[in-house]
Amino acid sequence: MSTPAATLVLDNEAVQALADVTHRKHRRALAFLEVANQRSGRRRPAIAVVVPVAVRIEAGWDRRAPAAATLNRISRARDVALTGGAADRAAELRAASGVSVVDATIAQVAEGLVGPVAILTSDTGDMRRVAGLVEADVRLVRL
Amino acid sequence: MKRRPPTNQDLFALLDEVDADGPTVVSSVRQPAALKEALRLAVELGLDANANDATVQAVRDRLEAFAQRRALDVHYAVHPGARPSLAEVAQAAAELDGDPLAGEPALIRRAAKEIVSLRPGASADDVLVYAAGLRSRASA
Repeated sequence: MSTPAATLVLDNEAVQALADVTHRKHRRALAFLEVANQRSGRRRPAIAVVVPVAVRIEAGWDRRAPAAATLNRISRARDVALTGGAADRAAELRAASGVSVVDATIAQVAEGLVGPVAILTSDTGDMRRVAGLVEADVRLVRL
Repeated sequence: MKRRPPTNQDLFALLDEVDADGPTVVSSVRQPAALKEALRLAVELGLDANANDATVQAVRDRLEAFAQRRALDVHYAVHPGARPSLAEVAQAAAELDGDPLAGEPALIRRAAKEIVSLRPGASADDVLVYAAGLRSRASA
């Protein structure tokens, strides 16, 4: 028996794929947004799409930039800010797993969200290592 | 002066301004009595802090989904090759859900192909239900 994901977290490559129509995974990334959109308003649990602010920085996603207008609109992804407490936890996760700063913040963000949480990522190896440390129902989805 | 027809851009601009701490207005809505009562009960059961919050969130979610739908359709109109097929969306849904069907892409493709002939407006979730039926029938 599967449980529908309640939240979808975008990693850097997911953002890159959504932002660039020539990216080889653009269509696949859009398929996940389609699922979120199709489930809105139906008698299925809706899926919230979120992006940790560290991912936005890494991906160069400046919401004010005209070039980001399409990405802003098609994703409707909500920012998850990095607070002091969140930074402490991300640092702890990074120290325990050896993953990058951004991957540690993704795991920290996933830990605080309504689950099940799906992380759309191209780097399942590192993410699996750090996701295994968080107290949350997290599943990795390879982009 | 004739009012300019609204655009997607207008809609997104307003949605981007929506903020929990922003200005509010009072408005009255005619609604079915049973819906109002159901909302009252749902709030008591923990849906939201109050009926107002629940109503605002529901309307906001619906508007966000509508705006996103329009944005996606505009994107596909400009880039037709970017539109994922029904099978691809169903595959994504299975992966998001941790559904074992995710490991059977050929079955999902078959289900997507068959279901559109029966139900042209089928969703990705319809495809997964149909695929589960195909699998169940095959193993019976």
